[in-house]
Amino acid sequence: MSDFFFLPAWPPPVEDLPWLAFLLIVAVLAGEAVQRWLHLPRLLGWIAAGVAFGPEGAGLLDEDTLGDIRGLLDIGIGIVLFELGQRIDFGWLRRNPWLLGASALESALSFAAMWAVLLVLGMPPVLAAVPAAIGMATSPAVVLTLARELRAQGQVTERALLLTALNCLYALAAVSMLVAWLHAEYRVGWTEVVAHPLYLLAGSLVLGAAFAGVTLGVLTGLGERTDAQFICIVVLALVAIALAPVLHLPVALTLFVYGALTRVFDRARHFAFLEFGRLGQMVVILLFALSAANLEFGLVPAGALAGLALVIARFAGKTLGLAAFARRSALPARKAVLLGCALMPMSAVVLVLAQDTAELAPELGPALAAVILSALAMLEIVGPLAAQFAFKQAGETAAPRHGPGPA
Amino acid sequence: MNALEFKKSATLTLGVELELQLVNTRDCDLTRSAPDLLELIGGALRPGAVKPEIADSMIELSTSIHSRHEALLAELRALRDAVLAAGDRLNVAVAGGGAHPFQRWGEQRLSDRAHFRRLSEIYGDLARRVAVFGQHIHVGCPDGDDALYLLHALSRYVPHFIALAASSPYYQGVDSAFDSARLNSVSVLPLSGRAPFILRWDSFNAYFARMRDLGVVESMQDFYWDVRPKPEYGTIEIRVCDTPLTVERAAALAAYAQALCRYLLIERSRLPTEDVYLAYGYGRFQACRFGLDGELIDAATGAKRTIAEDVLATVAVLEVHARELEGEDALGAIAAIARGEGNDARWMRERYRRNRSLPDLVFRQVERWRGTA
Repeated sequence: MSDFFFLPAWPPPVEDLPWLAFLLIVAVLAGEAVQRWLHLPRLLGWIAAGVAFGPEGAGLLDEDTLGDIRGLLDIGIGIVLFELGQRIDFGWLRRNPWLLGASALESALSFAAMWAVLLVLGMPPVLAAVPAAIGMATSPAVVLTLARELRAQGQVTERALLLTALNCLYALAAVSMLVAWLHAEYRVGWTEVVAHPLYLLAGSLVLGAAFAGVTLGVLTGLGERTDAQFICIVVLALVAIALAPVLHLPVALTLFVYGALTRVFDRARHFAFLEFGRLGQMVVILLFALSAANLEFGLVPAGALAGLALVIARFAGKTLGLAAFARRSALPARKAVLLGCALMPMSAVVLVLAQDTAELAPELGPALAAVILSALAMLEIVGPLAAQFAFKQAGETAAPRHGPGPA
Repeated sequence: MNALEFKKSATLTLGVELELQLVNTRDCDLTRSAPDLLELIGGALRPGAVKPEIADSMIELSTSIHSRHEALLAELRALRDAVLAAGDRLNVAVAGGGAHPFQRWGEQRLSDRAHFRRLSEIYGDLARRVAVFGQHIHVGCPDGDDALYLLHALSRYVPHFIALAASSPYYQGVDSAFDSARLNSVSVLPLSGRAPFILRWDSFNAYFARMRDLGVVESMQDFYWDVRPKPEYGTIEIRVCDTPLTVERAAALAAYAQALCRYLLIERSRLPTEDVYLAYGYGRFQACRFGLDGELIDAATGAKRTIAEDVLATVAVLEVHARELEGEDALGAIAAIARGEGNDARWMRERYRRNRSLPDLVFRQVERWRGTA
């Protein structure tokens, strides 16, 4: 035995360290640095921290560890989608129905454009439809985080949030259907083809509605806004996030419905907006960092060209769709283009969707990976920059501010 | 071009400006949507009918010149509907009320225009605090001397306007206990309060010239008096009213001012002396704090009564004038407020008590402004 038996082995065993806490603090510091010195969105710093920790970087997070924290990713996604659901504004859609037209068209055109690119690349139609459907969705985490960080308010911001909520809904529904069709291709019985997506949609709706009802009941019972209310919201959301997978329901769709219906059911506007505050912020930072760590940059060169084509097709489809209905939905043409930029981000949720799909149809996984992942890696950087550019150019951020005031 | 020229305007004509709150439909907080809203309205309305204000979450409606209550109300309704139609497409809700019940003034973004930038440089954070919402009533005067006479004769009635229009009980998230918390935020400005007791326009000009030479002010816009002359319009401007929750009440207040001015111009029963200002601050405070229940002391007679009683006594005197001006309906509406219907501050407190949600209160204000509640 060595004289220095009391010293730890070097390097110390990684799994014993609170690396998640370490990752969080590095991500937070990187975020502040990026914001302060580069004037870029903080979330790029969070992403950089994740990449640095991940298999492609220092290797502190290997694939096994990343597999273990899938639960944490679910919580992050659940929280983001719960908030996103509350952004669905049926009143606005009723008063300005052209918004729904613009939303449908931007999603349809971006789907069609991406699908066409993938067909040209020689992917089978049904297989190609999956990434195209996934690509319709704008990253809600990026848009929500940026809008909050920049304290943006105005038509581009409000519409970006609404349209993100809608295109995520389309994507979630479309992917559920497509997965069922894929099952059919792999010779699963027709009952499953019909019954499975139906179960996913109806199940999410029922579970989300039940939680929305319970939440409002509990909050009303508690009365005035208090810490107890906050705890109840957090706990109920966590329970919903845990319960959905147990029932084989998609966390994302369930929490989205949950958020949307709390707003619909709250007729007295007791709880104008349910948020997770700083606690939610911590989870979202981890969501960004961990999903970035999941990115396999090694695949990027292989799919770079196809990925770039996808990115361009997606942006063109979205912007054309928005521009076509700009005037009728009361948006100046310039702002329609900015809105197209604001809808560019695409991230974590996509990856999880892709993983969900890969689990259900193993043959699909590797074929999808290279193209989607390189498009994703590009948009991981370009998306937030484009969205920040859009909010700033539209003049909707908290600056210009003059005179003294909080920074 | 040193002297302020008092432009001639048709006596007893009316114009109204209303500062309105722009709120989102999600949590009913103020939203910086004036630029988008104004861009959409664009040239569809008479130039100047809808204008930007000091904060990006405010707009101002201004009517053209009217001689009758009915026409004024019709224009206010048309302006309201035009703004509502644009707001509906942009998901921007519009509300009356003297102050937003729960916004934090530190969150407000000030309008990026030269005049407002200058205000912000001079007043710092006070500029954000005065981002409150008032109704301004312009009454046309034959000349500058009459304008000054009216201004000082009206001072006795200033508490009426405060109490009748009061609609800002909630401020920064709490019940301020005031019916009009808005005037408290205006009172912090150094040039607020009452105009100096000057009754001749040439003397007023001399006063203004001195103040300008001293560098205290640059223009008449720098005075934030409760009632001030507006020489370029040929009017006096009553500025103490909170923006009411409905255009109907805004028009009724304007018609009340018109009838009152007609009475004061014709009867001239009591020439104002500086004594009217002995109890001015007291009455103003009582009106802000207690609304129509506030106490009014008549400095000339020493008589004390509630503001509601004094309004009703005044209404009785004004009936003949209102008839001449075809404003009996409006006068009736004012009497009803004093007789027990109560001001908008009371309506807001009753509404809030039902489910104790300030966002919901703002939503009700939005519905009320729309004319559907």
